[in-house]
Order: sequence, then structure tokens, then C-alpha cells
Amino acid sequence: MARAALDVLPGTVDVLILRTLAWQPMHGYAISQWIRDRSGGVVAIQGAALYQALHRLERQGWIAAEWGASENNRRAKFYELTPRGRTQLRQETASWREYAAAVSKVLAPA
Amino acid sequence: MSERRRRLRLPWRSSARISADIDDELTFHVEMRARELMATGMSEGEARREAVREFGDLDYTRRYCASLDRRGDALLRRTQWLEDLGVDLRHAWRTMARAPGFLAVVLLTLALGIGANTAVFTVVDRVLVASLPYREPDRVVRIYGTDVPDGIQEGQVAAGDYVDYRRRQRTFQDLAAFTWADYTYVGPDRPEGMTGLGVTANFFDVLGTRALLGSTFVTGDDSLIPAAVVVLSHSAWKRIFGGDPGIVGRRIIMSDYPRTVVGVMPAGFISPLREADFWMPRSLAPLLDDANRARKFRNLGMIGRLAPQRTVAAGSADLAAIARDLEQRYPESNTGIGVVAVPIRASFAGPVRAPLLVLMGAAGLVLLIACANVGGMLVARGLARRHEFAVRAALGAGRGRLARQVLAESMALALAGGLLGVALAVRLTQALVALARPALPAMGPVAVDGRALAFACGITAITGLVLGLIPVRGGGRLASRQALHEESRGLTGGPARSRLRATLVVAQMATAVVLVIGAGLLARSLSRLRAVDLGFRPEHVLTFRVELRGTKYDSAAQVIALYEALHERLRALPGVVAVGSTGAIPTEGGARSALDIYGRDVPPGQLPAVGYNSVSDDYFRALGIPLREGRSFEEQDNEKATPAVILSEGAARHFWPGGGAVGARVRLGPDPSQPWAVVVGVVGDVRQDGAAGDVLPTAYVSARQDTWAGRTVVARTYDDPVAVASAARRELRAIDPNVPITELRTMTTVVDESLAGRRLPLWLMSAFALLALVLAAIGVYGVMAYAVTMRASELGVRAALGAQRRDLFVLVLSQGMRTALIALVIGLGAAVAFARSLSSLLFGVAPLDLTTFLAAAAILVACAMAATLIPAQRAMRVDPAATLRGA
Repeated sequence: MARAALDVLPGTVDVLILRTLAWQPMHGYAISQWIRDRSGGVVAIQGAALYQALHRLERQGWIAAEWGASENNRRAKFYELTPRGRTQLRQETASWREYAAAVSKVLAPA
Repeated sequence: MSERRRRLRLPWRSSARISADIDDELTFHVEMRARELMATGMSEGEARREAVREFGDLDYTRRYCASLDRRGDALLRRTQWLEDLGVDLRHAWRTMARAPGFLAVVLLTLALGIGANTAVFTVVDRVLVASLPYREPDRVVRIYGTDVPDGIQEGQVAAGDYVDYRRRQRTFQDLAAFTWADYTYVGPDRPEGMTGLGVTANFFDVLGTRALLGSTFVTGDDSLIPAAVVVLSHSAWKRIFGGDPGIVGRRIIMSDYPRTVVGVMPAGFISPLREADFWMPRSLAPLLDDANRARKFRNLGMIGRLAPQRTVAAGSADLAAIARDLEQRYPESNTGIGVVAVPIRASFAGPVRAPLLVLMGAAGLVLLIACANVGGMLVARGLARRHEFAVRAALGAGRGRLARQVLAESMALALAGGLLGVALAVRLTQALVALARPALPAMGPVAVDGRALAFACGITAITGLVLGLIPVRGGGRLASRQALHEESRGLTGGPARSRLRATLVVAQMATAVVLVIGAGLLARSLSRLRAVDLGFRPEHVLTFRVELRGTKYDSAAQVIALYEALHERLRALPGVVAVGSTGAIPTEGGARSALDIYGRDVPPGQLPAVGYNSVSDDYFRALGIPLREGRSFEEQDNEKATPAVILSEGAARHFWPGGGAVGARVRLGPDPSQPWAVVVGVVGDVRQDGAAGDVLPTAYVSARQDTWAGRTVVARTYDDPVAVASAARRELRAIDPNVPITELRTMTTVVDESLAGRRLPLWLMSAFALLALVLAAIGVYGVMAYAVTMRASELGVRAALGAQRRDLFVLVLSQGMRTALIALVIGLGAAVAFARSLSSLLFGVAPLDLTTFLAAAAILVACAMAATLIPAQRAMRVDPAATLRGA
């Protein structure tokens, strides 16, 4: 690891979780690993932020949870994207792209 | 994984379960991370510490998630419940809508049951329960004078005694006195009779009620002659003065004397004794200064406000002790005179309390029948729906869920029935009050209010619950595999349900018997009362009240002159046979007096009491009271002549058993300085206190010799007495346009109204009984029709085996009769208890009147028979061939 992982920017946790779960249903720890791996170890979500977000999203009905057995046969809580969550992901991805593009434009050297 | 997820979908969890789940989830994360770190070479302890540190605020996250999950679960639970309920109600509506006839009968039955109860409750609550418009009403008592020798229990007290009670008592905050006061207000249009109370100045302080406008009386020294002021009732203010907002301070002329209006009482304020238009202060000084009246003239009503923490019994005992002392001190006037205090509410409710409670009970029975009836119908429908339940159970609906569906249905039914019932109750209450008005205490308007609505809600909820529980309980296993089997075998309903329906029908019929017997007893009482000979002929008699007040009628001569002129003019009207006048017409009670007979030397305190009335010459002829002996009053019995007395037959027989009343010398009243009078005649007995009252020995005096300014005129006519009513008004106006006519009625109406208190329970009970019979008949019909359908194949087989049609008819009929007989036995038993509770409302009929019981039994059997006839006929027509083919 060349440098310490960046803490994720506030406001992006939700969309990252939704994106991750769009891949496949998984438990909380797997979500954090997946994000870290996909960002090449750059982005790491703190556990506290992750689980608060997961329960919040569940309450909003964007993801649903079930208890199941993990890879090593431990009892683990699995999350999956609901149809409403999928719609939400599309909207957030679009607006995130727009935002990122706008920020890049501003930051581009003159 | 998807399969696992379905399986593990939890409906909702307990709070502890939620916390445990979150701990599991977070622990799992930390441990996985620690394991990963250990793989990079950390020690176990180090790895764990690092994992926890990396995680961030573990504690906060735990609490945050728990609170979120709990809220989510609660919401989930609620939405789930509401969704299910919605489904249940929609389902209920769909099934009901498929049977609109059934729905209509059920709703009508429930509406009648709930409506009748709400209406009766409204009146009961208002009269017996609702708080009176006084401060701390529980401390207010009504105090009655009692007179043991005269048998008076709720009488008045004398002014001198009142002053002693008030000064010497130790249990009351204060006592106040009041008496009748009638005035004529001569308004711009026509004279208006006003009835009110003359009260001691502290009257409103004792009641503790403030005026709506202005004020009540200023209390101070009672010996001061009260100012010429008056407080108006709300209704008089509206009726006579058009609700004039500037009324306070206005001077009005009441019977020639000017009075200043100082206040208007709020609507709904009621005072003892009568529905009053006004209250004015009255000085007791004239009474106290007159030695003959101070303790002998008992004309004051009394109220008191108990001191804090004093009971009515203590107050009553306190006053009674004073009364005993007064007996010792003034034996001549006070022998046998006592006093008793009762809660003021009891004094208002008094005579209607018993009938109202009986009616409440009867209304309860009607609701019971309605429930049993609707319950029976629901059970019958439940039978038809057994298959549906079985299928739903087989598809996974839990027992609780099914029970809830039944409950949702019955609740919805009860609610709809309750709504209709309340609408009905609004009308019923009006009718009830109109019917009961002459018998109800003066309580102001009575209408369905918040309390009545709460009551209606309560009984609706109970009804819904009972209706829901009947099929649940009776069905036992709402959904069993057995039901599916039975259904497929073409059998509907187990024996348990048939038994339940039969039980419900028996309950209905038994209750109907109770109500029919109640109505029968009341009807026989009323017919006995009607058959009572009142001692006069009420047909073709017009009566009205005239009150002469003011300076024009200060002397007896002026009063006599007006009445003579009025009698003269009325007699001259075409169609009038005879005209008379009296202090009090029969059935409306009257005065009493002591009777002293010359030569018998009875000590003054022990003189017997007789009824006392002042009448005009032609009074007996006008009312059709027969003259038995001697003569009626004549012109010669004037103020200068020897006083003349006419006795009732009963009085003559009682005091002169051997005859010789006419010509005897008697003295009426307690004043020994009065001259002796001569008995000039004997007339027939009259029931002055109405049909239910005793025949009191009575003494009549001539209106010329004891002149009362307020009199009731009676005019006998050839035909319809109402035809001369307007002529009577005209004639009085011609003599004095400022004298009002009140209480213009025919004598038959007077007699009718005297029975109003008796008629109300009878009418209601009859209506309830009729309703109960109809409902019970419907119930019997339903059960029997169902039984015939059920036994169609059995009957068919019997017919095929050679049973005559008549036999089949008798078979079904006897089954119906068996049910009726069981109900009859139970019903008659219950009626014995019910009839006993009615006894205070009965007249001339024993509570266990055999005729009534037999008639009720006959009615019930006839009813059950009629309800069984149609099913029995259907049984006769069962086609044996069809049965055999079908089998």
C-alpha cells in the first residue's frame, strides 16, 4: 500500500453502497472490501459510516436486508438492492457524474 | 441465496431482538477485519484493537441503527396491520354487498337496538345523572316538611319554623325558602301570565348559580323589605321580552306593580318546585307577624347547602331534631310536623326515576334481542362461508387472522348500525320527550349530546364484539380440515352451530316473553286506571285557569264580581249547559284543612285532615258531581251569612256513620276564632288526586265565603267543548282585557295528562315488546326454514317410506313448538323477576298477574307457530322422488 486510503467524501457513501449492491447482494464487510478493491485501495469507508448508511437506506426502502450465512458460515446480514433503490442509483449516478464534471471544469488549469 | 432471503424475511422483531441483530452484524464486521489484519502479521489483540479503531464510533452507530430499525419496524407493523384490516373490510363489504337484503335487515335491527338505547339513555342521563346547574350540586338538598297526621311526606314548611331551622341548624352553610308566585305581565300585545317563585334573598347563593346577564339578588339583612326587583329565566327573557339585550335595568309592570329586572339566568338553569319564568325576593315578615299563620300556614319550600363534609343524612337528622323540639314548644301547631332532607337531584327525578330505570332495562333487553338476532344471522352466514374459511385456512391464513376478519366484519356492521342508530336516536329522543313532557321534571331541552354519543359508541363497540364472538365461539374451529371434508360431502354446518342458533333463538323468544309480560302488566294497569270512577263526568267540559292579580283585585268583592260576571257571560253562550269555578280541578290535587266538629272536643293538634276546596254555586253541576243530600251553594251563602260547608259522601259517612251530617256544625282550619259553619249538603266522592290517588274525605266551601283570586273555570257544553273556547276568551277580554287565560283544555285532556306518566312506560314497553316479537319470529323462521332445508333428504325418505304429508307438517311444527316451549319456560321465569321490579308502576294488577302471563304465553306460542308455518308447509311439499334420485 503506497499511501493511506482516502476517507470517502461525505454524500458519496450512499451512492457507492447502492452501486456496490447493484453488482450483487452482499453483507456489510464485503461491501467495504469491494469498494476498497474497486477504487484500487484509494477509497475506504469507515465502518461506522457504512453501517449507519446501510440502516438508513434500508429504512428508506432502497435496499432490503436478510440474514444468511457468510462464506465462512458465520451468521451475517445480507443487503440487496430493491427496485426503488435501482431507480435511485440511476438518478444519483447521473447527478454525481454531472457534479464531478462540473468540479473538474472548475479545477482545470486555465 | 435468493431462496434463503425469502425464507428469512422477518415480519417484525422485538426491541431486544433488534439490538442483538445489530450487535451481531457489527461484531461480524470487526472480526472479519481483524482476521484480515492478522493475515498481515498482527497479533490477535493488536488486530482487534486496530479493527475497532478503524471502525469509528461503534457505540453511536449501534444506537443510531437500533433507533432507526425500531422506528422502521413499528411503521412496518402498523402498515401491515392497516393493510390487513383494509383487506378484511373490503372483503366484508364485498360479501355483504352480495346480500343487500341481509345487510339491510342486520343494519335495521342494530339501528333499532342501538337507537332505542341511546334515546332512553339520553333522557335517563339528563334526568337522573347529568350534573345540575349548581355549584357543587352534591351539597344542595331539598328539604320537605312532613305531616304525620295528614300523611304528607313532601310538603312545605311554615315561615316561623323555617326561621328556627335556619337559625339553629349546625350542618348547613345556609338554608333558603321559596314559594309560588304568579303575576301577569301586560305587554304591548296581550297579557302574559308569568309563573315564578318568591324566594328569600339568599336563594341563588344556596344554589350557587350566577346570572347570565346582570346579577341575582344582593343578600343582606332578610328583615329589610326587599327591593322591587326581579330575575328572569332565560326562556321568559326570550319568550316575553324577545331576548332584549338591554333588559337589565328595565322596569316592567308585573300585576300593576313596577319591578326592575336585575338579571337573567342562564339557559338550562332549573329551580325546585316548578318551571319558573322569574324569581323575586319575598319578605317573610307578613307571615311571621301573623300569629295564626307563622307556624300554621305551611307554604314555603326549602333548600339548603350542606356545610363541607356533611352528609344529607346528617343534615336531615340535624333539622329533624329541631323539628322535635318545635313540636314540644308549639304543640298546638307543630304536633306531628317533621322535616326531611333529600339530595336535590332525587327531588327532581322523584316520580320518573322508577319508570326510567325500567325503560332503560327494557331497552337493554331489546339490544340483547337485536344482538341475538343478528348473531343468529351471522352464524347462518358463517355456515354458508365455512368453505371459504376452510379454503383460506388451507392457503395459510392463521386462526387469529381469520378471527380478526370475522371481528372486522361484525365491527363494521355494528358501526354502520350504530351510525344509523344515533340518527334514529335523535328522532326518538324528541318523540320520547314530547311523550314524557307532562311527567318529566322541568329540565330544559333534552337532546342527544356528547355523553349520549359516547354511550352509543360504547354499546356499538360491545355489540360489534359480541357479534364477532358469537360465530368465533360457536364455530369453534373456524377452519378445520374437517370443514373441507364436510363441504365436499355436501353437508353444511356441524351440530354445534345449529345448536348455537337454536340457543340464540330461545334467548330471543325468552326475552320477548319478558317484554310482552311487562307491556301487558302496564297496559292492564292503565286500563284499570282508566276504569276508575273519578266521581265526575269529564266529557263535554272546557276548563281554563284565570289568575286575578294587581290593585284592581285587592278585595274579595272585586274578585267575586269578576267571576260572577264571567260565569254569567259564559252561561249565556250558545251550547253551554252549566258554568262553575274552583280553586283546583280534580286530578290536579288540592289543599287540605283540619276539620273540627262542634261538640266533639278534639284537641287542636289532633284534628283530622280533610281535602279543602273553594267552589262556585254551579261547580258540582258543571262537572257532573252528584248531589246526594241537602243542597248546593246558593246566592244566600254570601260573606255576611253563616259559613256553609258541603261535604263529600266519604267525609259524611266517616264522621257521621249514623247519618245526620247535614245540619251539623263544623269548623275548617286551625283558627279557633273562626265562627262555626253549617253543613248544607253532601256530594259524591271525587278523586281529587287522580285515578291512582286515594279518595280523600273533602269539605267544600263557597267561593263567596272563601274567595281565591286564582280559579279554574269549568264549563259544561252540549257538544264539543273546544267550540266555545274562543268565545270564552272573548268574554273574559270584554270584562278585563288585562287578565290572561291559561291552561285552556278540555277536561278529558286534563284526565289524560294526569295519566301521562303512566302512558310513557306503557307505550315504550309495548313498542319494545312488539319489536322483540317481530325479531324473535324472524329468528324462529330462520332456524326452522334452515332445519327444513337441512332435513330435506330425511323428510324425503320419510315421505318415500309412506309418511303422510300431514305427518311431515306436524313433525316440523312440533320441532318449532319445542323451541318455543323451552323459551317460554325460561322467559316466564325471568319475567317473574322483571315484573317484581315493575311493581311500583303497576295499579290494580299484581306483578304475577295470571291473565297477563297466560296471554303473553299465548302470544308467543302463536308467534312461533306463525313463524313455523311456512317452513312446515315447505316440508309437506318435499318431493320424495327428487330425494331418492339425488341420493
